[in-house]
Amino acid sequence: MILDTRFFFRVLVFPGFLFLFSFTLFCDWFERKVMARMQNRMGPSYAGPFGILQPFADWVKLLTKEDIVPEGAGGLALAIAPIISFSLLVLSMLYFPLDGANAFSNEGFEGDLLLVLALVTFANFLLFLLGWSSSNPYSGIGAVRIMTQFVGYDIPLTILSLGPAFLAGSLSLSRIASVQKVPFALVIPWVFAFFLLALQAELEEDPFDTPHAETEIAAGYWTELTGRKLAFVRFSEDLQVVFGAVLAADLFLGGPYGPAFELGHGLPIVWFVLKALFIIFMLEFVEAVCARLRIDQVVRTNWKLMVPLSLLSLALVTFCIPFVQSATGGA
Amino acid sequence: MMPRLGLLEWARKRSPWMLHFNSGACNACDVEVVALLAPRYDVERFGVLNNATPRQADILVATGPATRQAAPRLVRTYEQMPEPKFVIAVGTCACSGAPFKTCYNVLCGVDKVVPVDMYVPGCPPKPEAILYGITKLLDLKNGG
Repeated sequence: MILDTRFFFRVLVFPGFLFLFSFTLFCDWFERKVMARMQNRMGPSYAGPFGILQPFADWVKLLTKEDIVPEGAGGLALAIAPIISFSLLVLSMLYFPLDGANAFSNEGFEGDLLLVLALVTFANFLLFLLGWSSSNPYSGIGAVRIMTQFVGYDIPLTILSLGPAFLAGSLSLSRIASVQKVPFALVIPWVFAFFLLALQAELEEDPFDTPHAETEIAAGYWTELTGRKLAFVRFSEDLQVVFGAVLAADLFLGGPYGPAFELGHGLPIVWFVLKALFIIFMLEFVEAVCARLRIDQVVRTNWKLMVPLSLLSLALVTFCIPFVQSATGGA
Repeated sequence: MMPRLGLLEWARKRSPWMLHFNSGACNACDVEVVALLAPRYDVERFGVLNNATPRQADILVATGPATRQAAPRLVRTYEQMPEPKFVIAVGTCACSGAPFKTCYNVLCGVDKVVPVDMYVPGCPPKPEAILYGITKLLDLKNGG
């Protein structure tokens, strides 16, 4: 890779780090506002216009709080896990074709869909390490729950994300997005619905909120985190929601390509942001209307319902491919 | 004329997370504190979040007189909070011990055990009063 200014600009500013940073904070605000309106509240209102700077204020405040390491907590894992999980999530975000190309300004490679899924799994494993090493029973239980839930739901999520990949005949994120003349959400709606459900579990939102169930285990795996660590773990969580939304938008809603794609290129990033916000809105809607499942129910739902259903829906997709291709004029 | 705030003061003022601790209150103050979080008063407008653990809180909202049994727990909770941290005594009992101050098991107000930065008297205080206490405290502590 040649170290030119364009490369640095794309990785660090747009559509790389700086853009992702502000977009993630914006999404956090959007989530909180949607949640508040669903509960007939106002939500953050006074930090900046419409409270839009609220997540930024939280972040700055957390960065400057005292950093407490509990006695008996694992030093190295506790210190570096938040930063590494944050970095892995940012790295996985760089592979999405946010403005038509990814941050490395190429078309990606065949199989970057699997790479980003693997990176996120790894980031979650670090969050498990973090909870496990902070020497608190609540953190430990929360961490084990992350592992139980994440390992389980990663399987249906990966299988379901293969649906669009089969239709597109490619495992490349940018290619899957670019072949969608009709969004795959309309072609294979059942896969889209199951995918959102698996995503909900993956992002640990209600009804799959068990890893930080406040009524049972305090704050779950981040019970002992303070200051900078908490700032980065919170940010990783928000980034993960953005990742999920962007992944769903890329696989099922045609990513950066708007309905007016035939007419002209338009503004790909605007389409991507709008679609991601739409997905976040759907996820938050489900979160706001659902109650929490117990951990055993979460696990049972996964292995008895989601895994067989995702396999079945993938089989159905395979069956549908010739019809879809003849209907949409080839993919 | 408002003095110009730095980024840090602004952030601390806009994001006060609270932890509610009941050291022997009759529940009236607790209901008022919970009412703060509900739609009618919705303190999230001001960036106040209720936290499940002292590690993430900036403000300890203490209700009730400090009883002999709860006092060590109150101190421990206070010590678990990261700096900078503040304590608000909500309700007359938390401020002074009120009718219970002569009881054998009561150590008067919570200020006998932890340093209190703001007193909100009332039996129980209205949610508006608690909210006013929080905002006033943040104004005092963050220079503006």
